[in-house]
Amino acid sequence: MSGETTPIVGGATQSWITLAAMIIVGALALVSLYMGFQAYGNEEIEIAFMYMIIGTSGFIAIGYAFFRPKPTSMDPLKPKKFDVITTLECPQCNLKRVRAFQRGDYIYKNDEPCTRCEGKMIITSIHTRKEEKKK
Amino acid sequence: MSLLQPDNEIGMILQTLFSFAFIVYLFYAQRIQAMTMLRQIETTLRKIKVLRDEGKTTAIETINEIGKPERDPTPMVERFMEHFMIEPMSMDPAGVVGKLGSILNVREFTFEKEVEVMAPNAEPSERNNIENLLEASLALNIFYKVIRHYYLLGKKTMNIYIIMQIHMILPLILQQIEAYSSALTAFKDGMPIGDGVGAIVAAKLLNGAETREVAKEMVAGEIEYEGRRVIITKARGPGGSVGKPGDAVTNLLNENKGNVTMLITVDAAGKLEGEQVGDIAEGVGAAIGGPGVEKYKIEQAATEHNIPMYAVAIKQGIEHVVAPLVEPLFEATDKAVSSVKGLILDYSKEGDTVVVAGIGNTVGVAQ
Repeated sequence: MSGETTPIVGGATQSWITLAAMIIVGALALVSLYMGFQAYGNEEIEIAFMYMIIGTSGFIAIGYAFFRPKPTSMDPLKPKKFDVITTLECPQCNLKRVRAFQRGDYIYKNDEPCTRCEGKMIITSIHTRKEEKKK
Repeated sequence: MSLLQPDNEIGMILQTLFSFAFIVYLFYAQRIQAMTMLRQIETTLRKIKVLRDEGKTTAIETINEIGKPERDPTPMVERFMEHFMIEPMSMDPAGVVGKLGSILNVREFTFEKEVEVMAPNAEPSERNNIENLLEASLALNIFYKVIRHYYLLGKKTMNIYIIMQIHMILPLILQQIEAYSSALTAFKDGMPIGDGVGAIVAAKLLNGAETREVAKEMVAGEIEYEGRRVIITKARGPGGSVGKPGDAVTNLLNENKGNVTMLITVDAAGKLEGEQVGDIAEGVGAAIGGPGVEKYKIEQAATEHNIPMYAVAIKQGIEHVVAPLVEPLFEATDKAVSSVKGLILDYSKEGDTVVVAGIGNTVGVAQ
């Protein structure tokens, strides 16, 4: 398919350029802030204000670069995996069994023989396992 | 030390840089914004490409595993993924539902034939699952191609309005794409999905009662509940199919010559943000999604026989619709069964006949 050969430029390969730019901007912002404080010490308020704006703008730019969407390589690229369980019940002795889903399982299927009595177990539910809440 | 003093070199450099940045931003702000948006679209496009390729690989692997074809199904799968449907002309809307229905029937027939050739040794229910799997792969391919189109067009023209169009709806599209990628797992193994809650409710109401075919891929059975005759219809499982509920309801109402007190449809419904997954809501009308042909048939038949329509909706997010069934949704089917029974008791009397239609994809659910 044509989509497989179409190059998509940019992305993760540009990250080192961004990093270098961030270091330069950070250094300039630091110098600017230093000079701002020095000017403030010399009671040159207007000049100090100007330097501090430049310094703060530099740090805001760095902050933006950090919090913007991350490159694709950091994103989970694979489709989600699901932990699906099958519940079997014996209509005769009410024995209940839960096991991992297997291909071919379906709700109301007469499945494996009951381990307690002579009956056949029926699949009564198939669903994903409840996710445990993160503490 | 002063910024304005010419002997201060660092001050001069900083001031020049700041002024330069200001001028650059003045003229190139929109371009910078466009480039940022393009980068975000590109990031998403990479992810979609991976999912699209995964869909294709999963489809080929499943066909090889289940269908045991004599030749490599890859070219057939690739051809299938490019399949399209042209909707009928609606400038003259009279009869447009019939035309759409006819086109959908041809599409369905074509897909069945394609899968039959691809997987000759698969069981009919497995073929249905493969068909659904291929449709999910096809949807992922279309999403990928459309987003790529806007990305490349935006990049070529650097027109911020073209880029913004796709950028604004990207989070919503991504939700749908992730849902389709979850569908790959479900259809590959024939697991029940979120959309199947209506079929599960119908199966629970049938509770093993004998069924017969009432329309294409639709079965119906009868139970007696509190002196009422309840006819329940659903798509024939356990293969992945939504059947033709419109035809089934029409046939059932015609069979009973309109002597039906009420018609209840049960289906999955999209939840609003803030609503809980598995919430049940009752209402009136025909609870059925899709292109609208089956809904039209149900409404037409009910209106013709003057039968009130009631609806039970089971709420779920877009990410649940085609993904493997989650526990809250399975638990909600019991509540929906109680809701249907409540409606029957409230709006019919002993000796009445009630029709209940469980709408949705019956993958992984027998009757």
